[in-house]
Amino acid sequence: MGKARFLLALWAAKLSIPALKITHHNGTDFPGALALKLCPDFLRYVPRPPKMIAVTGTNGKTTVANMLEDILERRGHRLLTNRAGSNIASGVSTAFIYGSDLLGRTKCDMAVLEIDERSAPRIYPYVKPDYIVVTNLFRDSIMRNAHPGYIADILTANFPRESKLILNADDLISATVAPENDRVYFAIGPMEGDVQECENLLNDMRICPRCAGKLRYDYRRYHHIGHAVCESCGFASPAADYFAHDVDVASGTMALTEAGQDYDYRLIADGVHNIYNMVTVIAALRQLGLTHEEIREGFDHTAILSTRLSRETVGGVDIIMQMSKDKNALACSRNFDAIRHTAGDKELLVMMNCMGVAKNWSENPSWMYDTDFEFLNRDDVVQLVCAGPRARDYKLRLLLAGIPEEKITVEEDEFRAAERLQRKPGHQVYILYGVDGMPLAFRVKAHLKNLLEKGGGAA
Amino acid sequence: MKIEVLFSEVCNLYGDLANVRYLKACCPQLTIVETDLHTKPRFLSEDIGLVFMGSTTEQGLKLATEALMPWREEIAAKIDAGQRFLAVGNAVDMLTEGIRSDSGLAITGLGLVPGQAKYRMMQRHNSFFLGTFADMEIVGFKSLFGHIQGAGDAEAWFRAVRGVGRDGATAAEGFRRGGLMATSLIGPLLILNPPLTKWLLRRLGLDDTLAFEDAAMDSYRKRVAEFHEESRGWKY
Repeated sequence: MGKARFLLALWAAKLSIPALKITHHNGTDFPGALALKLCPDFLRYVPRPPKMIAVTGTNGKTTVANMLEDILERRGHRLLTNRAGSNIASGVSTAFIYGSDLLGRTKCDMAVLEIDERSAPRIYPYVKPDYIVVTNLFRDSIMRNAHPGYIADILTANFPRESKLILNADDLISATVAPENDRVYFAIGPMEGDVQECENLLNDMRICPRCAGKLRYDYRRYHHIGHAVCESCGFASPAADYFAHDVDVASGTMALTEAGQDYDYRLIADGVHNIYNMVTVIAALRQLGLTHEEIREGFDHTAILSTRLSRETVGGVDIIMQMSKDKNALACSRNFDAIRHTAGDKELLVMMNCMGVAKNWSENPSWMYDTDFEFLNRDDVVQLVCAGPRARDYKLRLLLAGIPEEKITVEEDEFRAAERLQRKPGHQVYILYGVDGMPLAFRVKAHLKNLLEKGGGAA
Repeated sequence: MKIEVLFSEVCNLYGDLANVRYLKACCPQLTIVETDLHTKPRFLSEDIGLVFMGSTTEQGLKLATEALMPWREEIAAKIDAGQRFLAVGNAVDMLTEGIRSDSGLAITGLGLVPGQAKYRMMQRHNSFFLGTFADMEIVGFKSLFGHIQGAGDAEAWFRAVRGVGRDGATAAEGFRRGGLMATSLIGPLLILNPPLTKWLLRRLGLDDTLAFEDAAMDSYRKRVAEFHEESRGWKY
């Protein structure tokens, strides 16, 4: 009965695909959502390709999954992926529908699936990857994800016992998930810019997971990422099977040690988070059997798309669109850290409001107080214009960060807020916007460009 | 005057610690001292104006409760004698008789207030809260795995007008006992509620002038007005 129901759901979902194309709705999760409605345990029966790898974690999972797909596809694999859809159960189901024929047989020889951490209980009971990559675990949405320990517990409870884990040794939260599972670790050794004491408000690994003693960090990259040792019991971050070191951003190179042998790599990105993504991909591809030479060759034809930041110069002003995921202290703190490390005078349009709740609910601003707005308290951040429904909350937060009141302007209307910017030639104007504020942010950018093309700064 | 922050190595979620930073901004002469999980709370043997404990993880709930349990009787006597103690978020749950979850979490609480916290780990409760206390309107947010059941008619801190109280259904929110002020509201409670902060500062015998008072009141008035709008549902 189960299999028959599965086939009916599969056919119905497949029939929906041409209908969606005709109505220009392709690329959605509708086929998967329909299949799950008709057959709630649809994923139990989907045919699996001979090899499956899943990528999960707070940050970097899309980038890592995309790089894996690019390199593996180029090597001739027929991949099943959820790149075009979502990373929840309906998106994963949609990927399997596309990857199956009408008789329920797989058309692919490998699956690369990006999987939302919170969706683990709906996916892993049925889809059992050979490998699961966990990029890292950080705080995310307070409302959905609570705290990273909660997410780690969900992963531990739901990862299939037979899946081999590929884990970040520099992140003691994700490195300790599912302790019964076989695992390998990746890490990056000391880098320029590392610190020992945490500079961030978010610091979620302060005590030893074994004895609750104080952790000392030999080096810390940011937040809880780094190499930690317990001062009480000697517990330490695990040794890495894939250990990147001698990272030289200026020359674009790094070395990676595996089993005592060093391998040279060319960096394809300069941001630390993307270097982590590269090392993650190397570890995953080594587990899948590629040689270092094959991986290097793959990177030569791979680029990391920067969809969250774009730059354009108009009237002598650099306009930088910076997606700063709203309600996410970590994402915003990382962006503020990048801003403080960028030379030049900056004007900021602060509009990371969650537009989805602005009318029917009211955004919880608690996350702002876990976010390093203090990084913006600098001479070269010359103006901050707070816009949108939470403009007043932003002003208050900026004041508590020590930013002088004369630098701060409140203007709820985002377009008028753009008009209040100084718009001085030579300045960088950052438009900081949230995920669902993107369309509005780009309209504001167009308005700003229009102002700049007409010439002159703020009145 | 000293403010003692309990267990900031684990009780540090949801921006709760910003409450203490804000009090320090209001009264720069305040001294903030932090007590870790391995140290006896200082307020039991020192003159501490206010004790603060914020939200934590499930592991943090276990560790912090274990750390306080040896001093349960002394803590009860202190708060009954008027020791100011502000607990927010799930820190309140540690003060109840216990915490139980559908994932098997079972923690014996300090029993300073009645009731038991019951968590459903895959069904997070998110809501905004509009309530009253004395002549003030209180605004805040809940983001919790569950509520406190069985507290009966124990003295509450706030009364819900929109949103839910401590049991998820009725208006009684949080607890008062002696100097204890406890609420399940998370985050920057004092920053969001300048009238409440003024009240607290006065109770501590301090000048009630607030840091960034105009900006804080501006933000507060907007939020109060929003929370009164019937078109906004209080539940997320």
